[in-house]
Parts: sequence; structure tokens; C-alpha cells
Amino acid sequence: MSFFKDRNCYMKDYNLSLMDKIKGFDYIYLFFISLVVFIGLGVLYSVGGHWISKQSFHFILSLGILIVIAFSNLRLWMKYAYWIYGAALLMLLAVDLVGYTGMGAQRWLNFGIMKVQPSEVMKIALVLALARYFHGADLDDIRSIKYTIPPVLMVVVPVLLILKQPDLGTAMMLVFMSVSVFFLVGVQIWKFVVLGLAALGTFPIIWSLLHDYQKRRVLTFLNPEKDPLGAGYHISQSKITLGSGGFWGKGFMQGTQSHLNFIPEKQTDFIFTVFAEEFGWIGSLGLILLYIILISYGFAITIKCQNFFGKVLAAGLTVNLALYVFINLGMVMGLMPVVGVPLPMMSYGGTAMMTLFISFGLMECVKINHEMVIGRLGSIDDE
Amino acid sequence: MVVWRYEKKHILTKRLMVLSSFFLIVFIILIGRLFYLQIILGDKYFLMAEKNRLSVRLTMPDRGRIYDRNGVILADNTSTFQAVLIKEQAKDYKKVLKRFSMIINLDEEELEHIQKDLKRKRDFMLVRLKDNLSSEQVALLYLNAPDLPGVQIERGKIRRYREKERYAHTLGYVSLLTDSDTDKKDDPLLDLPGYRIGKTGIEKSQNNLLKGVPGYLKSEVNASGRTVRILEKANPVPGKDIKLTIDNRLQKFALSTLGEHAASAIVMDVNTGEILSMVSAPSFDPSLFLAPISVKNWEKLRDDKRSPLQNKALNGTYSPGSIFKLVVALAGLESKTIKQHTTINCAGHTKLGEQKFHCWKSTGHGPLDLIGALAASCDVYFYEISQRIGAENILNTARKLGFGEKTGIEMEGERAGIVPSFEWKKKKFNDSWRMGDTLNLSIGQGFLNVTPLQIVRAVAAIANGGKLIQPHLLKSTKANVKNLDFDPQNLNIVRTGMFQVVNEPGATAYGARFNLNGMKMAGKTATTQVRRITQEQRDKGLLKEKDIPWQYRDHALFAAYAPTDDPRYAIVVVVEHGGGGSRVAAPIASKILQETLRLDLEGEK
Repeated sequence: MSFFKDRNCYMKDYNLSLMDKIKGFDYIYLFFISLVVFIGLGVLYSVGGHWISKQSFHFILSLGILIVIAFSNLRLWMKYAYWIYGAALLMLLAVDLVGYTGMGAQRWLNFGIMKVQPSEVMKIALVLALARYFHGADLDDIRSIKYTIPPVLMVVVPVLLILKQPDLGTAMMLVFMSVSVFFLVGVQIWKFVVLGLAALGTFPIIWSLLHDYQKRRVLTFLNPEKDPLGAGYHISQSKITLGSGGFWGKGFMQGTQSHLNFIPEKQTDFIFTVFAEEFGWIGSLGLILLYIILISYGFAITIKCQNFFGKVLAAGLTVNLALYVFINLGMVMGLMPVVGVPLPMMSYGGTAMMTLFISFGLMECVKINHEMVIGRLGSIDDE
Repeated sequence: MVVWRYEKKHILTKRLMVLSSFFLIVFIILIGRLFYLQIILGDKYFLMAEKNRLSVRLTMPDRGRIYDRNGVILADNTSTFQAVLIKEQAKDYKKVLKRFSMIINLDEEELEHIQKDLKRKRDFMLVRLKDNLSSEQVALLYLNAPDLPGVQIERGKIRRYREKERYAHTLGYVSLLTDSDTDKKDDPLLDLPGYRIGKTGIEKSQNNLLKGVPGYLKSEVNASGRTVRILEKANPVPGKDIKLTIDNRLQKFALSTLGEHAASAIVMDVNTGEILSMVSAPSFDPSLFLAPISVKNWEKLRDDKRSPLQNKALNGTYSPGSIFKLVVALAGLESKTIKQHTTINCAGHTKLGEQKFHCWKSTGHGPLDLIGALAASCDVYFYEISQRIGAENILNTARKLGFGEKTGIEMEGERAGIVPSFEWKKKKFNDSWRMGDTLNLSIGQGFLNVTPLQIVRAVAAIANGGKLIQPHLLKSTKANVKNLDFDPQNLNIVRTGMFQVVNEPGATAYGARFNLNGMKMAGKTATTQVRRITQEQRDKGLLKEKDIPWQYRDHALFAAYAPTDDPRYAIVVVVEHGGGGSRVAAPIASKILQETLRLDLEGEK
């Protein structure tokens, strides 16, 4: 144990030079991220239209944000974690009051120069807040029910607000991510079981809160063939598109389902089907492997990181990434209801790309500062 | 503290391993699912994608045109705009149909037909909503296109009956499919929207010739059904054109000559069997049936007691009446039981046991030979000779002349009529043939039942020297000719009788005679009772025709041929409930036959 103590003493004025940071930056991680982005751009090229140029712009912009965040001071994020969470929560409330409506749901906030989706911001803010909260916790604290009430509230409030928008996909992601974080920091398994049973009990209440179109989506998911031309159309066509790719795929630019517009939202939520139609099972397997590599990388950073805030942050953000992939793929493969979750780095969309790259920037930041020691309250010396 | 800190990190690492394993399982499920969709079900989904992508549309062939013998177009096709619906492109086709019927008026019958069609056809097939759209309606539909998903406007062809009611029975008409048509599932034409099948007449019997072969257009379509590119194309093969033996000028003349009567007339070339005119009155415009006919129009046609829908020329059956005397005379001469000079005295009636058989002329004709009896249409003469000839001989001759069997004309709905036999009577009435039956037979009453077409064929056979020729309407038909082996001498006697009927002063059809450049007519009248006249009525004195309700009046028949010295044309005119054959039918036949000869002369010029 003295090893750590010594180390802490040694690292008392832990401050990295720019050179250290450049050295510490994980270029291979960025390479894989960019690789997926480029594959996405290729698919957008195949889809045609103006998507590719705009998406390239999003990429460049997001890359800049990633670098700025990567080289920022991790401690600052710890320091302002609650502030960021608070701001996100305020924005969610604001969106409820004066929000912009798009696609049948109130999700956008107009700031004049740009439109912001507070639910996207919350995905990061909640991880930051939870990381901050658990960073200073003892195992005893974590295991006490009283101590776990505040973070549970931290999760429940935004989730309810987002459900109200309504945005089932994001709400689901926040819940799964939070459960994962609670699990990782050491909350006892039996509490999850109890919570799970309680959730099951409140299911009818949640069901009554859902909008008709959401209920329909869930029902359609359960039996898509019942209404192949109505709401089940997306799922049916999605499966046809995927399946028709076969083992080798139809070849780049050769996808008939996508090129003839049988796939709705082909440039966003259903982009994977376009890719799978043209590159087959082999191509899809390759793409999924890339995601597995990125997630493994995220967990590697988590393990490598010495401070608990960084650990939880990296883990939470990586879980977020994995959830994006799971929900999107599950959705297009007909394993889950269509809830409107994009495929990270592939789907067209500026906000999603930026949010992801903020996460990746934070991941890099954790990686660069993995040896940093952070005190319970955010400084080095307040142990 | 540090221990706790360490343990916290340690737990996190341990639990991260658990979470990673869980994630790995999810990834394996996803990859497995992809394997299932892309490899195990890959072929199925590939086919489904192909089905999405490819659209094979049949293209309608032009229906064959129909000409008269001189190349006048009787039926052809005209361009039309038609609205069709593709069920799978209309998310809620019932709603679309409702909106459509708000824009374009559809009556009950049309809606019913569309609904049946929608039920029968598969989702990707086109269903006809309405054709013959006016340009205004087309504009309206385009304007409302966003509200009518799945509705398309297509250029098509629709049958046009240029001569309208003149050919309602002969050509017949085409009409949209009904349930009975759709049973013949093997014809791809049945799936075309707005395809019309021949329902009656030549349109029906020659449907296979006229319909043609559909072409197809294989194209790649996008999700909204728009054609992206054409992959394969085969042009439709138009149906064969048909030339009829009908002379349009004569047809026009014949129908207008029948006037308001419920009647039919047939003009036939006695040597070739070609039908130059075949009309049935009253008629109707066959175009009424192109679209589902409205209830109002349908009831009007159905409830008309003059039955305009029936083709009386070959579907109407009548007692031949006195025209049958030609057959009886021929039977007698051929069986050598009577001679030309066999003379019988007519006293107005003859007695068979207790039963009295009356001549139409109650005061009697006095002594008559065969020719005189034919000219005067004396009933008593034939009552007497029929007993000598015997029913068997008469019936056999009737059958030889083609009565009791279909003529084989290229039309559906022809009836065979009835030529009774002893067995037939036994079977039908459980009674043996009696002499009274023979007497009734001799004047063409009783069980006999013939069609006008059979009469004209028999008269043609008498006129042409004993050849029974199959009447036909298609120029291309090679007519069946059967030589009946009648003694030319005997035929000559019958023909002389027919000559006298028309040309002997005082004979039954003397008023209808003509002399057109030396060409004369020979014929035979008939007036057939629709109901039996009882002795009581006879005693009270017969009612005047105008006092009898129309449906109880006698049928008027006249059969003839011309010219008499070189017969070329035979004619039959049947006027239902027209009254007397000589007074009503003969003048009509005379007019038509004169026109026939005039047109013949014109043709020779």
C-alpha cells in the first residue's frame, strides 16, 4: 500500500507539459475512430446527395473539439462536473418549456447560432456527475442505501424529462449507462434485482406515459409482419436490406434497397443496413470488430487510469458508445423496437458526431492524465 | 483509506470484466443474428429485395378490329385515360378509394366492381378505377395526386363501337371481368387493369383471336414506385382483325326497316352461306356495357318486354307456322306420296274423329293442287296430305333441312329448337304420337320450335338446289356444305309454289312483290298463334288484332329468296306479336331483299 502513498507524494504537483500530453495522446485510438468515420463517409457517398460534404465538415469540426478537450485539464472536468450536469438539466427543462419540435418530439433548443439537443449533452453530463460523485466515495458509502439515493435521483430526473420529450432511445441509453456505472462502482447486485423488480412493477405507469406512436413502435416490433406496409415497413425493409447482402454483399454502390429508397432514414439510423447490403456479412463483421476494438480500448483506458473519476468517466463513456452500437444494431436487425438511435460515427448528423467526439476527447484526456491523482474534492492535496 | 481506495478500484476492474463479458455476449448475438439474416435467410431476402426492385408490368395489346365485308370499320379502339390503383402503394387503399370517388364520381356498380377487383388482385397489381376520363378529370386527379397515393393515370385503349346499336347482337360487346371470367386463371390478360373480355356475339366467340398477346415491361422501380430504368421490354402483339360477311349498308337498312317491332331479320347468301345482315330489334348501344352498366340502364333493358338483350335471330325460337308447309310439300314429293297435281277440296275445315281442324280461311279455298295450296297457304290441304305422307317422313325432311340442330354459326347462344319424334313425345308427355299431332305438324304448329336462322338456312337450301350450307359471319370461315340429294324436280315444284305466294294475284304475299330490273322474289308467309284459339272464341268471332294485348298477338313470319330465276339471297323476317305474316313480315322482308339486290347490283358496277 505504501507504494501508492509514495506515488501520491511523488505526484504531488502533477502537471504535464504539452510535450507530455502529445506523447500521452492515444493515436491508435483516434485512428480507429477515424477509420469508422471514413467508412461512414464511404457509405454516405454511396447513398448520394449532399450528406457526405456536410458530414466531412462535422468530422473536421468535431476533431478540433476532440483535440481541445483531450489537452484540457482533467481536474477541471471534475471540478465543474456538477455545474455541467446542472446546466444540462436546466436545458432539458427549457426544452420542455420552449423547445423546438422535430420528428414529432420536442428535442431541440435554439441558441441562435446553433441548435442544441440537451438530451445529447446530458449523456455526457450524467457520466461526469456520476464519476464526480463516486470518485469521493468509500466502498462503505457506496454500499449504503442512503448514499446511493442522490445519484439515483441524478439519473431519474433527466430520464423522466427525456421520456417526456419523448425520446425513448436516449432515455433507455441513460438508464442502461447509469445501471452499468452503479454496477461498476460496486453497488451490490441484490439492489439491482430489487430495482429491476420495482421497474417491472412500474411498467404499466411508464406504458401509460408513452405516446401512441411509441406504443405502436413497441407493438410493431413485437409483430412486424402484422402490418408490413404501416409501421412494420421499416423493420421489414431493414431486414430485407440486411439479408439481401448475403455473405459478400452486392458491392460498393450496388445496393438496390438503399439506392431505390426502400430504406427510410438510410443516411441516419438505418445506415448500417446500407453498409451491410453492399458489403455483406464479411463487411459487417469487420465493422463490428472495429467497434469491439474501440470499446476494448475504452475499457483498457479505464483500467489503466489511476484516478477513480477518470475510471468511472472512461467506463461510462465507453458504455455509452457500446449502448449506441447495441441499440442501433439491435434495432436494424429487428431485435429491438425502432427507437431512433444513430450508429456512432457512421450515421449522418452533426450533433451526434460532436457529442461522440466530446466523449472521445474526454477519453483521450483520461488517457493522457491516467497517472494523475485527484483528491476527493478535486485537488491533489485534500486527501 | 487507501485500502478502501484500492479495493474500490479492484472491484471496478473485476466488474468491468463481467460487463465486458456481457458486452461480448451481446456482440456475439448481434453477429449471430447477422449470420442468420444474411447467410441463412440471405437467399430469401435477396429475392424479396429483387421483388422490391423489379416491376414487371404487362402492357395491353390492342384488340383486333372488326370490319364489314367492304372494309368498313365496325369496332376499333380509341385512346383513353384511365385511373388505376396499386394497392401496395396506397397505404390505406380504402381511404384512397373513398377520396377518389369524391373527386371522380363513381356510382354503386362501379364501386362494387372495383372492390371485387381489389379483393381478387394481388397487392402489386393494378386495379382499374375508372377509364374514359375527361381531360378535366385527369387535371383534377393530378391536382389531388398527393392525397391519392397509389393512384396512377395511364393512357389506354378502349373499345369503340362505331355503329352502335346496329351490331349490339351480332358483334356483341366487351365488358369488364366478372367472377365467372376470372376463373380462367391462366390468361395474364385477366390481370391487366381495364381489360375487357368479349361477353356476347362475335366479341365472345372470337375473343381468343381478337384479344392479342400482352407485352411486358420489366423495370427497376424505387420505393415510391417510380420507374428508375427499363430493363427488358416486349411489345404487345395486337389481336387479329376480323372481317365479317355483313354488309354495313344492309345492316343499317335492315335495322331501321324493323322499326319499333320486336323482330329479327337475316339475309344470307344462298350459295356461300355468308350472312349479309343479321339484326335483332329492338337493339341497344353496346357501349353501355364497357363500364359496369348502371342499374337504371340495366333495368330498362331487362324489363323491356320486347327483350332488347336477346339476339332473336338465333336465340329466339318460334313455331315455323305455314313456312313449314314447304317442308311438308317437299316431304310428300320426295316420298312420292303426293304429286304436284294432287288436288284436295278445302271446305274451311277438316274433321279428325270428333275433332275439327280449321283452315285459316273459314269459308274454304275450294279445290287446290299443291302449288295452289302453297300460294293460298291452305291449311286443310296440308291436313289432308300430311296423313298420307306420315309424320315420320315430314320430321325426317325437317331434320334434313337442318331444323332441330344448331347451324354452327360462329356465335354463342344459338339454340337448336325442337323437331319432335315419337320417342320425344313419349318421353316428354308420356303419350304416343297421335294423328292430331301430325295435323298440327303439317301447318308448322304444335311441338315444332325453330330459330329464324334455321328457317333462312332451309329456305336457302330450297333455293340453291338442295345444299344445306352453314351460315357464317366471318369472311374467313369455310362453310360446311351438305348435299341433301333432293330431286331437283321436287325442289322446283316447291319453288314454284313460293313464286306464286308472292307473285300470284290474291296469294298471301302478293302485296310484297317487286320487280327490280326483272328480279323477283319468292317466299312463304306464316302467322303463328301464340296461344290456342278455343272453340268458344271461334264461335264468338275472332277479336280484332288491336283488341288483343300485345303479348298475345300472333307472330308474323316471312321467309323468301331472290332473284327467282337465279337465287342468290335468302331472307327471313320474324316479327314477334306482329300480327299477320303477309301484312307485317312480308313487306319488311321485301324491302330488305330489294335493298340487298340493289347493293348487289351496285357492287357489280
